[in-house]
Amino acid sequence: MNQFLRNLTATQQIGALFLVVFGILSIVTVWAFVRNLREHASDDPEAEAQALEAKRFWGLLKTSWVMATVFWVGWVLGETVATVLFAIVGFFALREFITLSPTRRGDHRSLVLAFFVVLPLQFWLVGSKHFDLFTVFIPVYVFLALPVVSALANDPQRFLERNAKLQWGIMVCVYGMSHVPALLLLDFPGYRDKGAFLVFFLVFVVQTCMLVQHLLGRRFPHKPVAPQVSQSFQWTSWLAGVAAGGLAGGLLTFITPFKPGQALGMALLACVAGSLGHLVMKALKRDRGITSWGMQGMSVTGAGGLLDRVDALCFAAPVFFHSARWYFGL
Amino acid sequence: MLAKLMSLLLLGIVRFLTGSQARWYGCPPKAEQRIYFANHQSHADMVLIWAALPEELRSITRPIAAKDYWTKTPFRQWITTAVFNAVYVDRQATPARPAAPAAADPTVAQAPAADTDTAAAGGPDPSPEVPPRAPTPEELRAALPESDPLAPLVRALESGDSIVIFPEGTRGHGDEPQAFKSGLFKLAQMFPQVVLVPAWINNVQRVMPKGEVVPVPILCSVTFGTPIQLEAGEERRPFLDRARRAVIALREV
Repeated sequence: MNQFLRNLTATQQIGALFLVVFGILSIVTVWAFVRNLREHASDDPEAEAQALEAKRFWGLLKTSWVMATVFWVGWVLGETVATVLFAIVGFFALREFITLSPTRRGDHRSLVLAFFVVLPLQFWLVGSKHFDLFTVFIPVYVFLALPVVSALANDPQRFLERNAKLQWGIMVCVYGMSHVPALLLLDFPGYRDKGAFLVFFLVFVVQTCMLVQHLLGRRFPHKPVAPQVSQSFQWTSWLAGVAAGGLAGGLLTFITPFKPGQALGMALLACVAGSLGHLVMKALKRDRGITSWGMQGMSVTGAGGLLDRVDALCFAAPVFFHSARWYFGL
Repeated sequence: MLAKLMSLLLLGIVRFLTGSQARWYGCPPKAEQRIYFANHQSHADMVLIWAALPEELRSITRPIAAKDYWTKTPFRQWITTAVFNAVYVDRQATPARPAAPAAADPTVAQAPAADTDTAAAGGPDPSPEVPPRAPTPEELRAALPESDPLAPLVRALESGDSIVIFPEGTRGHGDEPQAFKSGLFKLAQMFPQVVLVPAWINNVQRVMPKGEVVPVPILCSVTFGTPIQLEAGEERRPFLDRARRAVIALREV
């Protein structure tokens, strides 16, 4: 089996990967559909909770389908299209972030700059492989440019707070997100045209970690570490989630340019960054007095909010990208 | 054809920038004759509520556009007539009816006048105990002078269309909408069968503040609430305040 897979061309291997992903999704969807057919007594509070849970599960499933399809389309149409797709995801995530961060009139020009200049430029830098400039463009140049524009608007009220929010939004939604397509373009020796595997590796291990952490967080007796920020975050389930993500990474060694030990290490790193980043985003949401990005629990994406789904990835991708580049001297 | 393309393009842009989400809380989207009344913070309000309505309702709903602003350039005029199918309203009202308090006068003056007319026609001895009868909607409509700013709205409603109005008259600056002007009350009197739906437009002023040219992508929504009715004998001010409260209440849902 393994030998057979190795003998396929890169394209065939990635095609097989998508076949597996879509197959799993189909099976889960059919299973959920059949389970939904069972009747519930409508006035039972337990059934109500179950219905709510089922609804959330359907939402998650829908997002998974959309994401898998987006990945597939991105892969079929090439790296440029994939980069553009991630740029669009970053755009919608930033839109959600800014919507829920109060801005003042004086921020208008900086916001225009952020959405229509910084975001396209950053993803263009990725697409054209200007890796040196792309890693410093936002932290160095944009970090200076945006506050200048805001200052010129002549409104000192809450200046630091407003600028910090905008800066943060850009760091998470644009800078973080742009590192995912950058993985596609990273040239490992002997690993040409297989960047899609690396993206899949990152997404898969981080999502596995988040999922395990989420499921175990409900099983274990509650002892939240920071109850004000998150009712479900606790060290045991967090460790289990990271371990599960690392293990998944170790098992997926064969699709990466890494050796098993390296794959395990990279996966652990990505999981730690992603899950802790998710916690940070939770704190930000609490600060705004909401439970999910997206509008009052109902966003245009149909999910609870796009940013809720991708925030772990936004934190994991830069760490993953830079440690891979540093370790392998690329 | 061009208008159709433009409307598709505009819908695309508005959705891309704002999401233009419609939230139907107090009533379903239904093809009955309605007057939607909403808070007013930006010229883009009209565009947003137009984009938030489902396709079927959009074609029978005509937004109200301020004449001075939306006819300034040929493009604005074309887009309001061909794409939005808007009804122009003169904000610089004719000298006879400047602002809210004075605007009510013709109705008040009209009522007794119509009363004496019918009384005179009704018979030789009008008994003094009969309370002054309120004029019927038809009479009110007939009594409206052609120069009245409400006249185009009345014509639109008479032809069976729904309309979108902003009873504040001008764009507000603060968080709360300003006091409503009497146009809504008069329309409710003239068209008692038309359903009055309050709507709260959220966030639009952040997309494009006064004086800016480039819009910023920020999620906006339009919340539609439970319809209100003009109660029998309800006065102008209490009704307008009630309508305003109905709009404000939607901010919290």
